[in-house]
Amino acid sequence: MSWSLAFELFGLSIAAALIAGWVVPHMGCYLFLRRTSFYGLALPQLAACGVACGFAVMPWWIHHVGLADLDLSTAMEDTHAAMNYHLGWASLFTFGGLGILVVLGRHRGSEVARVAGLFVLASAATVLFAHLSPTGEIFVSELLRGEILSVGRHELETLGVVLGLAYLLLLWLQNDLLLVSYDRESAQVAGKRVLALETLLAILIGATVAAGTMTVGPVVLFGLLVLPPIAARPFARSMNQFLLLSGGMGLLGSSLGLLASFGWDLPLGPCVVLGCGVCTAPGWIVARIWREA
Amino acid sequence: MGILLEARGAAFGYRGRAVISDIHLALRSGELIGIAGPNGAGKSTLFRGLLGLIPPLRGSLERHARAIGYVPQNEVLDALYPLSALEVVCMGSFTRLKGLRRVSSADRELARACLVRVELPDVGSKPYASLSGGQRQRVLIARALMIRPDLMLLDEPTSGVDDRAAQIILGLLANLATEEGVGVAIVSHQLDLLRSHCSQVAWVADGTVRVGAPATILAPIGGSL
Repeated sequence: MSWSLAFELFGLSIAAALIAGWVVPHMGCYLFLRRTSFYGLALPQLAACGVACGFAVMPWWIHHVGLADLDLSTAMEDTHAAMNYHLGWASLFTFGGLGILVVLGRHRGSEVARVAGLFVLASAATVLFAHLSPTGEIFVSELLRGEILSVGRHELETLGVVLGLAYLLLLWLQNDLLLVSYDRESAQVAGKRVLALETLLAILIGATVAAGTMTVGPVVLFGLLVLPPIAARPFARSMNQFLLLSGGMGLLGSSLGLLASFGWDLPLGPCVVLGCGVCTAPGWIVARIWREA
Repeated sequence: MGILLEARGAAFGYRGRAVISDIHLALRSGELIGIAGPNGAGKSTLFRGLLGLIPPLRGSLERHARAIGYVPQNEVLDALYPLSALEVVCMGSFTRLKGLRRVSSADRELARACLVRVELPDVGSKPYASLSGGQRQRVLIARALMIRPDLMLLDEPTSGVDDRAAQIILGLLANLATEEGVGVAIVSHQLDLLRSHCSQVAWVADGTVRVGAPATILAPIGGSL
C-alpha cells in the first residue's frame, strides 16, 4: 500500500496514534516519578472493562434509558452519542477503580498488590463482558488486540478534545504538580492545595486513559504510559527535558509503529508499543555505560 | 525581638489523641532553637504541629512569621526525579508563580545567589541526586532561602552528613539567626551541635516539652541520642 493511500484511508487512525503518542507519555512521566507505573497497566484495563460493560448493557440501555433516539444498529456506528456513552462507561470504571484504590489505600498492605489485583479482575471482567455482549464482541476483541485502524471522526474528535484539555491543564499546573509530587510537605507549607492538586492529577490521568483506551485501546495506552518515560529518563537532566523527551519518545515509538504496521501489514496497536520498546534500548545502553563509567 | 511562633498550652497528635501536650514555646527573631528527644517521643509530631501540617488539639499556636522556609530531610526526596540542584532551589519560587508562568531569569539569579550563600556556587547544573548528603541538605536550605524567610524550620538537617558538613550547616544557620534576624528551629539528634549553636533547646519526652537553655536542659544527657 502506498503512503498516500494509507494516509487517505487511515489518516484518522494515524492522527489518533500521534496525538496519543505525544500526550499520554506526559501523564506517564508523573506515574513513573511517583513510582506508580503499575497504574499505567491497571487504569487502561479498567477503562477497557468499562467499554466492554457498556457494550454488554447497550441493548438494555437503549431499550430502557435511550441513547439519543438511536437504535442498536445505528448506535454501533461512529456517532457522538455512542462515543459519549462509551466514554461515560470507560470513565466510570477508571475513576471507580481509582476510588477503590484510594479507599483500600487507607489500610495497610502492598499498594502494588492491590493494583495488580484490580488489573487481574478487570482483565477477567473485560473478557466476560465482551462474551456477554451480543453486539460488541468483535469491537471489544479488536480494541483489546490494539487494532486501531477503524478510528472514526467522532472518536478522533473526542480523543483530541479530552487529551488536548488534559495536556493544557498539565502544562498550566506543571510547577505545582511537580512540587506536590516531589515534596508534598513543602507544598503544604507553601500553601498549595495539595489534595486538590493530587485529585486533579488523578482526574487528568483518568480522563486521558478513558478517552485513549476507548479510541486506541488498552495495549497502546499500556505502552505509551509506561515505556517512553523509561526510555527518556537516562537522557533527561531536567524536568522539562524529561517531559519533552518522553513526548518525543512516544511520538517516535508511534511513528515506528505506523511504519511497521503499514510496511508489514501488522496490527497498529502492538506495533506502536513495540516501537516504544525499541526506543527504550538506547536509554538502557546509555544508563549502563554511565553506571560502569 | 519579635515573636515569630508561639505555642500556648498546645497539644498535638493524631485522630484526636494527643501525643504531646501542654506545650509552651516561643520562637523569636534571631533565635536558634533546637528540638531534641528520644526516638518516638513526639519530635516529629511537634515539628509538624509547628509547621501547621497538623492543627493543635488544645491550646493555641500563633504564627506571626511573614514567610516560613521549610527544610525536610533530604532522604525523603526521591532521586528518580531528573532535577538539577538549581531546579530544586528554584522550587522555592513556586509559591509566587501562578498558572503558566515559568521561573524568571531574576528568580534563577536569586537561586544562584542562594547557592553562593550556602557555599555551593558551582553545583547548580549538577543533578541534585548526584550530590553528597551534606550538599543536598545545603541545596534544600538554599531553596528555603529563596522565599526570603523570617522563620526557618529544619527537620534533622545534620542527619546522615559528616561532622565537617554538620558544622558548616549549623554555622550557616547560626549566621542566619544572628546576622539576619531569622528565627530558626531545627530537629536534631546531635546534642553537642545543639549545645554549641542553639540559644534554646526544646526537649521532647514523656508526652510533653521542656524548653530552656541548652546547658540546663541537656545537662543530664550525653552527646548524642
